[in-house]
Amino acid sequence: MASPGSLRRSQRRFAFSVMTPIMIYLMIFSLLPMIWAVILGFFDYSPARVGGTIFGLGESNPFVGIRNYLDMFSDSQPATVFRKSVSNTFLFTFLILPLNLAITLPLAIIIERSHARVKGFFRAVYFLPTVTSAVAVALIWGAIYNPQAGLLNSMIRTIGMTPPKAWLSDPQAFVFGIPLAMVALIVAHLWQDFGYNLVIFIAALQGIPQNLRDAAMVDGANEQQMFWYVTLPLLQPTLLFVCVMTILSSLQMFILAQVMTAGGPREQTTTMLMSIYSNAFRYQNMGWAAAMSMVLFGIIMLFTIVQFRFLRSDWEY
Amino acid sequence: MTTQSQTNFSHLIGAVLRYTVLGIGLSVTLLPFVYVILSSLKTPSEIIQIPPSFFPKAPTWQNFITIFNDPKVPLGLFFFNSSFVAVARVGVTLFTSSLAGYIFARYEFGGKGVMFAVIMAQIMIPFQMIMIPLYLILVKLQLIDTLWGLIIPAMIDAFGIFMMRQFIEGIPRELIDAGRMDGATEFQIYWNLILPQLSAPLASLGIFTFMATWNDYLWPLIVITTHERRTLPLLLTWYSSSHGSRPSLTMAASVIVLLPIVLIYILFQRQIVANAATSGFK
Repeated sequence: MASPGSLRRSQRRFAFSVMTPIMIYLMIFSLLPMIWAVILGFFDYSPARVGGTIFGLGESNPFVGIRNYLDMFSDSQPATVFRKSVSNTFLFTFLILPLNLAITLPLAIIIERSHARVKGFFRAVYFLPTVTSAVAVALIWGAIYNPQAGLLNSMIRTIGMTPPKAWLSDPQAFVFGIPLAMVALIVAHLWQDFGYNLVIFIAALQGIPQNLRDAAMVDGANEQQMFWYVTLPLLQPTLLFVCVMTILSSLQMFILAQVMTAGGPREQTTTMLMSIYSNAFRYQNMGWAAAMSMVLFGIIMLFTIVQFRFLRSDWEY
Repeated sequence: MTTQSQTNFSHLIGAVLRYTVLGIGLSVTLLPFVYVILSSLKTPSEIIQIPPSFFPKAPTWQNFITIFNDPKVPLGLFFFNSSFVAVARVGVTLFTSSLAGYIFARYEFGGKGVMFAVIMAQIMIPFQMIMIPLYLILVKLQLIDTLWGLIIPAMIDAFGIFMMRQFIEGIPRELIDAGRMDGATEFQIYWNLILPQLSAPLASLGIFTFMATWNDYLWPLIVITTHERRTLPLLLTWYSSSHGSRPSLTMAASVIVLLPIVLIYILFQRQIVANAATSGFK
């Protein structure tokens, strides 16, 4: 048996021999890219040009200060597309959020009240779209929206109405001022995504103790009062969590739009991440793209901080 | 008596309404799946006919046979690419998460708090922020257009470490002490005593990592350029754009890509749903 002192030494050695490679790894694959991303935003950088000795910065990839950020407000074509992508992303996010909640919260309450056996079944089926490949989902919905042979238009024709001439490619088509292609994307995204919030709500509802409901029942509360005065206040932390998670994932919308519309028609469905992707990897304009990604990062951080601020409250019941 | 039958009646109405809503939800959820399967069984002419049919008139496997026999689509290779990346990422993630989680749960050393904070900060960093420099790093390391380029940047999973630490904190210290008494090395204690206790959280983390990797699209789109190294989602978009005039083939290819993940879901449905409900991560 080793003495306690040497034991502790061998433990410390083990801990460091595990943590050292992990920390070095994180420096290379996390810390370095973070710093690099911030720096890139201040350069006119393209990997196609050779540039200086340190990370190819300098010389033909010159330092431009905050010009990339100032350019975001200019009349140039990339800046116009970028601003469009920012407003598209916000439009998408703040339509998704209320629609998602309007579907998932009532549905969770209904499922929670059902018999245990059907409860598991419905939850399992509703969650299925979330595990499927977003690319496949995009292709399937693309086929559903097909103007000639698609499922949706044939359903609309069956009930005797005239379908729109194109769901995903008509720049003149609007619903309440929202581009039709955007509406179509939102529907597809809701379909794929609602299962997440649904199962989170169901779990939270199951966590509400029955005696609180019984007490409200004894006091003569009806179903609606029960919802507004018992269930909803107790769901508040979950509700906030779900809102922030939904906002964060919607702000980073990429696959469905990329595959279904490629951002069209006329950039009506181009999201921020799509704009960053195409500028960085298609046009090799990485300094400009890095600056855009910092803007998206700032927006995401804002909502993350909001979540941490408000989720502090510890609920005990 | 009348009030009794009234409440019974309103209960009945409530139940009918509930199941109607659930039924509508069910059909909306399942319809696209049914649609893609039925479309994949249609002939090329039937899928573009106007007015379109819902059920195939003469169901055929021809689309699948065409894909299997297409020399430009060696499906075995693409399944291997996707499986290789997914299995490697699952293996590495489970190992690093459990090992680091164990260290954070049961060891005391200088800088522990700082290191834990550094790792947890990873959760806050959106991938889109670091993807451009990460690409440039992979170029320097000559990992662009390799499957390793999809594995190496994803070897540390902050959420996995956090999850394992939580779980290991619940394992009695006596187990570790007993191991030390028997003269086991620190790594042997981890490998022989701790790891076997972790089957439940390892399964959860493994399933989640597998599905996330299998469905990953943006990073492979950036890293992979050679056709033969494509993963299945990349293959799917390429196939769809190169067979635009034959949608029944695209639908069949979608079914092929969807099938493995749906099978895994059917097998592990309970853990997957419970996982999502408690952790809430996407």
